[in-house]
Amino acid sequence: MYSKFGKLKAAVLGGALALGAMQPATAEEGLDYQTVSDLLHLVMSSDRTVYTRMIVNRLAVQEKVITASEHFEDDKALVLPAQMFRFGSEMVAEETDAFSYSLLSLWPINKQNAPTTPLEIEGLEYIAENIGENFYGTEELGGQEYFTAVYPDIAVAEACSKCHNEHKDSPRTDFEGGDVMGGVVIRIPMD
Amino acid sequence: MKLNRTYLFWALWAFLTLFVAAIGARALYVSGDRTAFLPGETTGVHHQFEVACETCHTSPDFSDASKITKDLNKTCVTCHKEELKASNDSHPIKKFKNPRMAAYWEKIDARFCTSCHLEHQPEETLPGMVTLAGDFCVACHSEGEQDVRQNRESHADLGYETCASAGCHNFHDNRALYEDFLVKHGNEDWLHPEPKIAAAALARNRPRSGEDEISMYLASLDAIESARDADIEHDWAATVHAANEVGCASCHASEAETAEQIDEQWIAAPTEAVCIDCHRAASQTFALGRHGMRRHPEIAKPRKAKSALKAIGIKNPPETLVSAIETYLDDPAPPAMMSTSEARVSLHPEAMGQDVTCTTCHNPHSENVNFTAVEACLTCHNDDHSLSYKSSPHFALWSAELAGDGPAGSGVTCATCHMPQTEKGGKVLTNHNQNDTLRPNEKMIRATCMSCHGLGFAIDALADPALIANNFSGQPMRHIESIDWALKRVEQPATDANQ
Repeated sequence: MYSKFGKLKAAVLGGALALGAMQPATAEEGLDYQTVSDLLHLVMSSDRTVYTRMIVNRLAVQEKVITASEHFEDDKALVLPAQMFRFGSEMVAEETDAFSYSLLSLWPINKQNAPTTPLEIEGLEYIAENIGENFYGTEELGGQEYFTAVYPDIAVAEACSKCHNEHKDSPRTDFEGGDVMGGVVIRIPMD
Repeated sequence: MKLNRTYLFWALWAFLTLFVAAIGARALYVSGDRTAFLPGETTGVHHQFEVACETCHTSPDFSDASKITKDLNKTCVTCHKEELKASNDSHPIKKFKNPRMAAYWEKIDARFCTSCHLEHQPEETLPGMVTLAGDFCVACHSEGEQDVRQNRESHADLGYETCASAGCHNFHDNRALYEDFLVKHGNEDWLHPEPKIAAAALARNRPRSGEDEISMYLASLDAIESARDADIEHDWAATVHAANEVGCASCHASEAETAEQIDEQWIAAPTEAVCIDCHRAASQTFALGRHGMRRHPEIAKPRKAKSALKAIGIKNPPETLVSAIETYLDDPAPPAMMSTSEARVSLHPEAMGQDVTCTTCHNPHSENVNFTAVEACLTCHNDDHSLSYKSSPHFALWSAELAGDGPAGSGVTCATCHMPQTEKGGKVLTNHNQNDTLRPNEKMIRATCMSCHGLGFAIDALADPALIANNFSGQPMRHIESIDWALKRVEQPATDANQ
């Protein structure tokens, strides 16, 4: 099943999604990079919000029956929402090169989630300054041209801002609910 | 006539050159011994299967460089995958595949094992089979957000050659070294109040058969007449094997169902295959360690003449050619077992020439935990650490436990640390990969040391080569400051640059 995924191309995915959606495009026409990226992001951000609100925030913050910890195995705790997202993205990276995604921030607790490319910095600054807007661009990395989209990642629950404000490695401690805390970066290699 | 002689020499030279080239090409592409082509001594234990080139070199002949690199790297994880997964790898390949890491690929391309671990480079290979200079962390952790000197006040003046050499960090396995773990266990005493290994205690406290049960068992033995031996039978009757209704024929005639078949199929010395039939988990971990790795299923089998000929374009080779090659140019295979004569660690001269198999350490008819966990090891191993064991406090604890003066699980044998036991669903499993808690030795901290010792003591002890050599007779003379720094950072968080 996953090997099919490995050959995924933007147009094919677009066509498949369009079959059951309101998108007017057909499989032959394909979808443009931005539409594919927007749809991928919709799935990611929905799953991420569900996990954050219905699992972590409910059980760890409201009902206090279990904690969430970055050392979830040692602490017998829930995986943090950011880790949940990153593990998914790493699993995708093991299966396909057709797209990649990551959760980054200008204020990362884990320094490996700081921006590394000039476009990532530009995109993260853009979505932090222009509330509600996404950022799109292209960049060349390792000899390959990429379509790169940056989507705002919002503090959707108390758990988000609380943990980021209290963590000893957090470079910023004044987050509030609804703030842009970082961004989801999606990349699709361009033909 | 001078001209003719020159031509003759040219012809002879051309013939000899082609002849030598043909012998070389034959060994490379068809069959035969290829050790002459080894570009340099293989590292560490890889020598055990170095004649089976295809174990690592799987690309078809004349593949391009990027395919060769990819194929080569796939073979590393066929054997090392589980170990990396269990290590909670700090730098997993999947983390570096994202194109946003492209700038780092230029520095150290962590998408490939071979970026740091090149084989056949004996002159530049460091411990851990690292073939980069010892300060390799500098490549990525000295700039921008990743600059550790900025992120950690305590690290401001440290040299990059000390990151991975001072008992503080490993590239892959930091399970016992990560900052929050240091803080959590930072204030432990050097020795816990009631030090003991829980899984070992469980194994030692297993109920034993009484004399009644032994006599009952002896009455129902299924050995053939010529093989009867009262001592062996009595030993056997007291074992866990016997308590689990494993009889003589279970191993000596494992396929037999009737008394007649037992008679016909009886084997005086069964091979380890009968052990593996039941002890699958032990056999799997055994094949991952140095003693048993020659059994690893991923070690390439000798080349088949027919497919080798096909690969060089001879589609339908004549049967006579195939059988001639198979008769005269046999492809060498690593022996099925590791022999002590081939070991590259210090062993007793009188222990040479033994194949390492289950019964090397496990007496087949009786359980003698002291032999299996101590004496068997010391029969062969002849280094300072092994030779010092019997004068160590760990041995004193083991002697006390054997004598009934110490509680079950309080003794520390060779196997306690090198083949740690774990409890799973009430059963005790022994890790038969003797290397699993070594290289780097911090792998041992959580698996064994911390059952009895505090984290700080364990880190210091394992960083002191002299203490390791005398088998931990005394206190560590080195102190690793990682815990002090981690605790200080938690107690005074505001001093750090990124706050």
